[in-house]
Amino acid sequence: MKHLNELNEANGKMRRAAPFLFVLLAAFSFTACRKTPLPAGLFIYKEEDLFMRSLTADIQKEAEGRFPLVTYYSLDSQIIQNEQIEASLKSGAPLLIVNPVDRLGAHAVVNKLKALDIPVIFFNREPLEDDLRIWDKAWYVGARAEQSGRMQAELAMELFGENPHDLNEYDRNGDGAIQAVILKGEQGHQDAEIRTATVIKAFADEGYNLDVLSTEVANWNRDEGYERMDDLLDRFGEGIELVLSNNDAMALGAISIMRQRGIFKDTNGNRVIDKDDAKWIPVLGIDGVPDAVGHIKDGYLYGTVLNDSASMAQAIAELSLAILDGGIGDDFPYTVTDGKYIWIDYKTFTLE
Amino acid sequence: MKIRNRISLSIGQSILLSTMSIVSLVLLVSSFVYFMAFSARTNVLVENQSREINKQIVLNYESYIESIIETANYIQRFSLPLDLKTDYEQLQNLYTLNSQLKKDVVAIFLFNEEGLKLLGDRIGPLSRNYILSEPWFTGALSDPSIFHFLSSGKSSLAIDRKDEVISVAKQVNYIRGGISEIGVLLIELNFQVIRDLAEMTNLGPGGHILILDGGDALIYTSENPYELTDRSLDIAAEHVLGGLKTNIEGRNLFLNINTLAHTRWRIATLINIDEINAVRRSMLPVFLLIFAITMVTTTLVSIILSLRISLPVKQLQRIMLKIEQGAIDTEVSVKGQKEIVMLGHSFNSMIEKIRVLMDRVVNEQREKRKTELRALQNQINPHFLYNSLDSIVWLAEHERSEDVVTTVIALARFFRISISKGATFIPVSDEIDHVKNYLTIQSIRYVDKFTYSFDIDERLMSMNVMKLILQPLVENAIHHGLDEDGGVIEIRGRLEPGWMFFDVRNNGYGLTEKRIEEIQNYLEGMGEAGPGIGVGLRNVQQRLKLYYGENAGLRFSGHSDEDTIVTVIIPLAKDSAS
Repeated sequence: MKHLNELNEANGKMRRAAPFLFVLLAAFSFTACRKTPLPAGLFIYKEEDLFMRSLTADIQKEAEGRFPLVTYYSLDSQIIQNEQIEASLKSGAPLLIVNPVDRLGAHAVVNKLKALDIPVIFFNREPLEDDLRIWDKAWYVGARAEQSGRMQAELAMELFGENPHDLNEYDRNGDGAIQAVILKGEQGHQDAEIRTATVIKAFADEGYNLDVLSTEVANWNRDEGYERMDDLLDRFGEGIELVLSNNDAMALGAISIMRQRGIFKDTNGNRVIDKDDAKWIPVLGIDGVPDAVGHIKDGYLYGTVLNDSASMAQAIAELSLAILDGGIGDDFPYTVTDGKYIWIDYKTFTLE
Repeated sequence: MKIRNRISLSIGQSILLSTMSIVSLVLLVSSFVYFMAFSARTNVLVENQSREINKQIVLNYESYIESIIETANYIQRFSLPLDLKTDYEQLQNLYTLNSQLKKDVVAIFLFNEEGLKLLGDRIGPLSRNYILSEPWFTGALSDPSIFHFLSSGKSSLAIDRKDEVISVAKQVNYIRGGISEIGVLLIELNFQVIRDLAEMTNLGPGGHILILDGGDALIYTSENPYELTDRSLDIAAEHVLGGLKTNIEGRNLFLNINTLAHTRWRIATLINIDEINAVRRSMLPVFLLIFAITMVTTTLVSIILSLRISLPVKQLQRIMLKIEQGAIDTEVSVKGQKEIVMLGHSFNSMIEKIRVLMDRVVNEQREKRKTELRALQNQINPHFLYNSLDSIVWLAEHERSEDVVTTVIALARFFRISISKGATFIPVSDEIDHVKNYLTIQSIRYVDKFTYSFDIDERLMSMNVMKLILQPLVENAIHHGLDEDGGVIEIRGRLEPGWMFFDVRNNGYGLTEKRIEEIQNYLEGMGEAGPGIGVGLRNVQQRLKLYYGENAGLRFSGHSDEDTIVTVIIPLAKDSAS
């Protein structure tokens, strides 16, 4: 009998506890239903790339608190990126933001995403237009490589007095032509080809006489920039009036050897290199990485064309939000060219 | 609440049953979990392995493609400063040398925008329109930023080469007479390279490599002859990218699709995973074996365990049963489990206590009896005293002074021996004297009514015997056993090894066997006395038993109508012999 009583008592406790349990359960299922949306996947071709690093940080900052994001670094391998994309899709990513390793690799990625009805934003490495056209929900956010070359040329033109027929004192030998060397990125690389071609074209378009002493391939690389510049200085010495680099890293490499060779001097002791020194050679980069900005402030690097990571990140975040919210509406703050492209303008950056 | 009827099990059975059920449950669950984990693990392993193989294959192709692109870039870089007009020889050398240097490069050409060959190996008589309509040519002109890879199954353009080639085309700038112009660089790769690279890997039975172009068309399959390719191609086209477990015509294959860098091509590897499944299947008998071994071991162990527990318990039970049946002196000595041994010890001490208690009770009872019997034995039949005194008076009246003296002396000695200073044991000689005194008195009282005789073994005389055991028998014989016409009472003392006997025989009617039985029963304290038996005999019997043990006592025998013999049986013990 005692047993029976205990049992009844226990039952009673259970009955009293039941509503409480129910509430708990309901609360749990409620939170389960309301759980945050699955994160979008952000794929960066390579973590070591300085520009990509700052761009990634900007995108993450923009996304913070607005939509969840998981970042993957693809170790400069399309195979790894493919694998990461597959894993991300498996985990239910509602959107992929891809900086492709291989422009053509985007072809298969777009096909795959179309099959799964997952939207994708490519950025900073442009897939072929045909590939982008395969899938309605594929966009590209980036800068036009042509613009960077042109803006780099404009910076130089400004320095040389803005008059193609009357160059100022920076035309050291006074021959009316600018003797330039070009440090080119990887041979065959889209950006390298375009930047090189457009910078030359911009001078020609404006009527400047640009005398390209040599175009050296330095593979985007600081060390190679150093070595190529070493050769160029051996070959042309003071005959060089302008160094045009396809990116900042190579420009910084060139600056290293130029500093060693005493090309940069601070005569008035204001801790900034003097442009007016007779031996000074202007160096122009593209990208605007933090290190380059520092070098501009010290006067070593004359200027750079800023691939505006902050603006690009902003555009990517806005586009992502719009996509996640159901599509690009009329109030979307960016111009979407051909329904596919959001172009981000380069900015120039000099000490002035 | 109802109490459920349970099958009552022995300790051994419960241990066996519970152990077996727990072990088998645990074993089943753990085997199941392990097998699932193993399966999952092998699945992951299979996938990872397949992915790695796929990656390796793709990397092989990729590094090859990269080397081709390097060649193209190399040519471009070196032709940058060269003018087609002035440096033709140098350029031509660059082209031919590079095509010869790389053994899988069949030929390298440069075409101008009009499809005219400018540099490279000799080509056959082809119309310019043919070149202009070639997909690699149009592709290169439409998108200058990439290399265009094309596999059309055609053979080389070079007149002296018949190899099937892959065309790699890129729009380039060349300088002709100081003017930069647009052209198309074409590198023809031997298709054999693709085969060679594919054959480097063994993908198991039915495993093969597919290479698909941007439009999902098959460029190459390593399968020869085609059996699964049609199906695998469909699956690869549908799946686009990534890994997938699939089954084609009964073969389990892991499909992996990856992009090939610098091209829109994809490489799909199909790897046979039946072998790994076979490994998984082979785990099953191992599990069964483990299961069986564990079950057998558990059974044995639990049987041993249950025996070790239940045997001492059974032993204990047996001993307890023995004790229950009266063998209280049995010592419990159980070996085995500590608890059981302790139980044995406790039981022992309990029994010990019981024994002590019982002994005490017995002793108390015996003491009580002794006191009682001493009182009995000290009791003097008042009738005897009265009768004796009466007969002394009678003798005195008849002036038989001699008889008075004899009687009084006998009476005095009778009482002296009766009292014996309170001793319980007296020498046999005294006991005999006692009887003689009694007979003297009685024979004077009942003149000529009976005669008596003694026949005592001399060796007995000095032995001690419990006092006052013969007199009641003689008294009994006189009162109940005598004939009207002169009775005879014979008192005999015999010594036999270990025993002392005293027979008191009287002639007379004798006793029937039935009567003897009745008397014997009465003496033991059961039944009625019946005529001819006094309290005195029972008193003697009880005292004998009390002092000499169960073997001692009175025995009635005799012949009907002839005589009656009452025998006192006393076992000889050391103390009574002295």
